[in-house]
Amino acid sequence: MPDRSRVAALIVSVGLIGAALSPLLRRPYDDGFPLSTYPMFAAPRPRQLTLRYPLGATADGRRRYLSPELVGSGEVLQAYAIVDRAIAQRGAAIQALCEAIARRVADSPAHRDVAAIRLVTGTHDAVELLARDRVGAEIEHGRCDVPRSGR
Amino acid sequence: MRAAESEHPAGAGPGSAGPPPGSAGPPPGSAGPPPGSAGPFGRAARWWLAPAPAERLAALRIAVGAYALVYVVARFGELIATARLPAAQLQPVGVVRVLRVFGVGAPLPAMAAVAIAALTVALLAAFTAGYRFRVTGPAAALGLLWVTSYRNSWGMVFHTENLMVLHALALACAPAADAWSMDRARRGAAGAPAPPAAGYGWPIKLLAALTAATYVLAGVAKLRIAGLAWIDGELLRNQIAADNLRKALLGDWIAPLAIPFLDHPSAFTIFCALTMVIELSAVAALAGGRVARLWALGAWSFHLGVVLLMNIWFPYPLLGFAFFPLLEAERPFSWLIGWAARRGTARDSRVG
Repeated sequence: MPDRSRVAALIVSVGLIGAALSPLLRRPYDDGFPLSTYPMFAAPRPRQLTLRYPLGATADGRRRYLSPELVGSGEVLQAYAIVDRAIAQRGAAIQALCEAIARRVADSPAHRDVAAIRLVTGTHDAVELLARDRVGAEIEHGRCDVPRSGR
Repeated sequence: MRAAESEHPAGAGPGSAGPPPGSAGPPPGSAGPPPGSAGPFGRAARWWLAPAPAERLAALRIAVGAYALVYVVARFGELIATARLPAAQLQPVGVVRVLRVFGVGAPLPAMAAVAIAALTVALLAAFTAGYRFRVTGPAAALGLLWVTSYRNSWGMVFHTENLMVLHALALACAPAADAWSMDRARRGAAGAPAPPAAGYGWPIKLLAALTAATYVLAGVAKLRIAGLAWIDGELLRNQIAADNLRKALLGDWIAPLAIPFLDHPSAFTIFCALTMVIELSAVAALAGGRVARLWALGAWSFHLGVVLLMNIWFPYPLLGFAFFPLLEAERPFSWLIGWAARRGTARDSRVG
C-alpha cells in the first residue's frame, strides 16, 4: 500500500504539470495567466509600422526623437496614448499637447538645438529606417515653436 | 543553524536529487527511496520521489519567496495605479475570471485590490521566512496568483511573471519549511521534523519540470503559429525591427545589438534555430547534472540575447531564479551561513 504522502506528492506533481501544459489544448492565440500559450515571439509582424509620435526639429531641419518624459509620462505606452488621443481629438488638443511638449523641451539642456515640435503620423519600413536611416512617409498634424528666451 | 554540507549532504546533482556519489544510501532527512511496483510507472515514480536534502528545497523556498516579495513591493505603486483604472478596461484573465462567475462585472474596489496586495506582501515575507508555512505558504502563493493575475487583467498579458507564480504554487504544496525556517527554529530542541515519506526531492523536480514546461510551450507556440518557417528568421527579424522602431519613435532606449544585426538576415536564422533547440530541448534539463547546467546556460543566454536585441527584460530567468531548481540551490545559502558563523566565531574570540 503506497504511503499517503507519496500519493499526494504524485497527485500534486501530475496536477501542476498537467495545468502548466494545458495551454497546448487551447488555440495558440488564446493567451492566459499564469497558464500562457506564450504566443509573444511567434506571431508574424509586418515590417511596416504606422505610429503617431512627436518629433523635435532643429533649425537646420534634422529630426530628434523625444523621450516619454517630454511628452508627459515616464512610461512609453502611456506617452504613446497621450499623443494618440490628442491627434484623434484634433485641433485644440493637438495644439495644447504640442505647446506642453515645447515647454518641457525648452527646459531640457539636452534639447537646446530643437527649434520646433511636430506631431506626426509616420509610416515606416522598420528595417529601412533603423538599419539604413531611410525615413518613410510622415503626415504632420500640428507644429509649434519651442519658446526660447533672449530671441 | 549549521551548513547544509555538515547536516544533510547534497544530492548527486541538480534534478537527480539522489544521494551523493560514493554514499551508501539516501541523505539523512529523507525517507529513502520509495518502494514501488516494477515497470515503467514504478520506475518513474521512484525517480520522481528520489531523495534530496531538505536544505535544497528550503533554499528554493527562500529564493522564490524573496524574489516574489521584492517583485510585489517594487510594483506596489503600479498595482495601486492599476486598481484605479476605468472599469471598462478590465479584461479578466486566469483566476480574476471568478469575478464574472460570481456576477461581479466590475473591478474590485481600489481599496480592496490594494489591501490584497498588502496582505500578499506580508504573507510572502512569512513564506520566505518559513513562518507557519503550512498556512502562510499556500495563502502567499494564492495571494501572488491573484495580485499578478489582476495586474494582467487590464488589456495586456505580461509573460515575465508566469513561472514565478507557478514555482510559488508548487512550493506551497511542499514541505519547504522543514529546514532553514522559523518553523524549524521554533521546534528548537525538539529537533528536525520527521522527514515525509515522499522526501524532499519531488518538489525540486516539480519546479524544474515547470521551468521546462514553459520553454517547451514557447517553442510549440512558434511551431503552431508560424510552423517551421519561423526558423528562417524573417519573422523574428521583423519583430525585432518593429519593436525597436516603436521604441525609437517614442524616444525609448533601443536594444544595443538590434541595428547592427538587422542588416544581416542570415544571423536571425541562427538565432531562431538556437532558440528552437533551447526551447524544445528543455525537458532534457530534468536529467540533471551537466546536461541541466548546460541547458540552463543556453536558456539564460537566450534571455540575454532578447535584452540585447529587443531590450525586453525577463528578470526571473535573467537573475537565475528560473534555473535554480536545476542547480544545487542550497550551496550559496550554505556558504553564506558558514561565512556568517565564521564571522560570529571570530568576533566572539576577539571579545573573549
